[in-house]
Amino acid sequence: MMKKRLFKDKVLNGLTFFTSGISVLVLFAIFFFIFQKGYSTLSLDMLSNNYWSVNYNLAIPESSQSVYTYPSIESGESFSSKYGIAFKDDFSPDKKALIVVSYVDPASPFKLLTDLSAGPNQGQVIPIQLGMNIEKIVYTNTLGVDRSAGVIFKQNASELVNILDTQATKLLSTYTQTEGGGIKGSLIATLYLILISLAIAMPLGIFSAIYLTEYAAKNKTSAFIRSSIELLTGVPSIIYGLMGMVVLYPITTLFKVSGPSVLLGGLTLSIILLPTIIRTTEEALKVVPEHFRSASLSLGANYSQTIFKVVLPSAVPGILTGILLSVGRVIGESAALIYTMGTFVNDSPSVTRGGTSLAVQIWSIMSGEQPNFALASAISIIILGIVLFINISIKLLARRFAKTW
Amino acid sequence: MKNIFEIKHLTLHYGNLLALKDVNLTIKEHSVTAFIGPSGCGKSTLLRCLNRMNDLIPECKIEGQIIIDEQDIQNDKISVVDLRTKVGMVFQKPNPFPMSIYENVAYGLRCQGIKDKKALDEAVETSLKKAALWNEVQDRLKENAYKLSGGQQQRLCIARAIAMEPEVILMDEPTSALDPIATAKIEELINDLKKEYTIIIVTHSMQQAARISDDTAFFLLGEVIEFNPTKQLFHVPQDKRTEDYITGRFG
Repeated sequence: MMKKRLFKDKVLNGLTFFTSGISVLVLFAIFFFIFQKGYSTLSLDMLSNNYWSVNYNLAIPESSQSVYTYPSIESGESFSSKYGIAFKDDFSPDKKALIVVSYVDPASPFKLLTDLSAGPNQGQVIPIQLGMNIEKIVYTNTLGVDRSAGVIFKQNASELVNILDTQATKLLSTYTQTEGGGIKGSLIATLYLILISLAIAMPLGIFSAIYLTEYAAKNKTSAFIRSSIELLTGVPSIIYGLMGMVVLYPITTLFKVSGPSVLLGGLTLSIILLPTIIRTTEEALKVVPEHFRSASLSLGANYSQTIFKVVLPSAVPGILTGILLSVGRVIGESAALIYTMGTFVNDSPSVTRGGTSLAVQIWSIMSGEQPNFALASAISIIILGIVLFINISIKLLARRFAKTW
Repeated sequence: MKNIFEIKHLTLHYGNLLALKDVNLTIKEHSVTAFIGPSGCGKSTLLRCLNRMNDLIPECKIEGQIIIDEQDIQNDKISVVDLRTKVGMVFQKPNPFPMSIYENVAYGLRCQGIKDKKALDEAVETSLKKAALWNEVQDRLKENAYKLSGGQQQRLCIARAIAMEPEVILMDEPTSALDPIATAKIEELINDLKKEYTIIIVTHSMQQAARISDDTAFFLLGEVIEFNPTKQLFHVPQDKRTEDYITGRFG
């Protein structure tokens, strides 16, 4: 009998240990997986680059100098002394070979490229930028025949330079592409989203929390308001997205905005944030000691002065926690934004136009014809990093403002 | 001496609980009046009536009159804010606001709408001097009040009340959270302050009441058993219950 019980205890204890171990394991698995897939793509360039690459067909003028020198050639770089430009081999996130411009002499003809494609920009000077990919270069060879060289002929950087320096007598045109796969647009759009949603949700949330804790009588009406707010927390965000599209869209049209926009996304998010901000502010106000209120009132302050000069400032750390939590929510939100902001990755987003937040860019990348898993994982690392930073800030904030009274 | 407060037939209920029963007291100007009695006898409740701090308690019902400057303070014509600038209060636990020393003292004046920097500076300085705190804090006025010691915090709270230039200062066991040295300083301060203000103090310590007060009221179960000059009350108590209490037979 005794032995049986001991065995049963051990099984139960083991079970609790095992199950709590699972969650830790899952957490680490997520981190490991994301880092393994995304780490090689993660770079500072990614933060500042556009997502969409732009193609150019550009004419190359006559070279003004016959010999160029490169101050210091790095390993892996090939320098064309005849044209003053250096190339490097590289790979795109989807593992295609690239020839990337790594150095341009200020006097190089590549600084004076002009647009060949028909249109309003024809003839405009478009100097080559570091990081651009050279698809092909058209040249006239020693026999007077026009030929092409470049990555589309499976040549690498040193082979291209060799052709330029030995076979080409004249360069005619080049087909180049700017580097893509960046998240600059989504970063900016996410920032706009945070600003817009907080600008609306913060005053609304803080003032309603003040009403609920300080002014509202404890009756059925205030209980109803409070439970309605709690209910808001449980509404799935996709429903907020639908609501935003239907109910808030007319508001954005007042600002002459049509279609999905960052503004509409921000408005929708501000409603999602409201319950969080109200709840955390309420909690923060409740823990302000009663004796601050009595002291203030005994000094002849009226009730509003007491609330806004003493109680609210004392609650600031708690309120800040709520705001940080909200920022985390904005960064992680995706479902509600798909309807309201669209899924098209916009490299130069503005408040009145559509765009994607970081989270939606992941969705957008992965739902295309060629899912770019590496970039999606890299964005995930960034999101996880920001969320981790916010969580640590909240912990530090709580410790920094540990109650002195 | 002039009477500042006249309390007539004051009865107070918290819901169904009778907290004060037919209290009649007159409080003299520029004197220290002590309220003593065992816990729960109603002495703090009466003190809180004097500047209407009981307004915050929803179930509290008051009958009778409290007259200051020939007006009943329960009267709706008197504004609570005016009353509280006239009747200041110092609490049991030092409770400065989590702001600088300067802002703590200037708080009440700012709430009255005084913005003039010079007037505020002056008021802060005189109040801190009257509260015997100026010498200790004059070069750290911008520091957070919570950096002060407990005794200094309590004197800051007194300075904060003085800044409003009240007629009466109510003190609800102001030294119960302090050590003996800080207590002695506060008692000394009370002795100085009574030249300008009327002080009503609730205390648990009979020795304190005997040391600092001019008149003493002894409370028991919501009733004033005896109200007499302090010397008389402690040496020749009129009531058997008073004698029992001050000789330590209960309480």
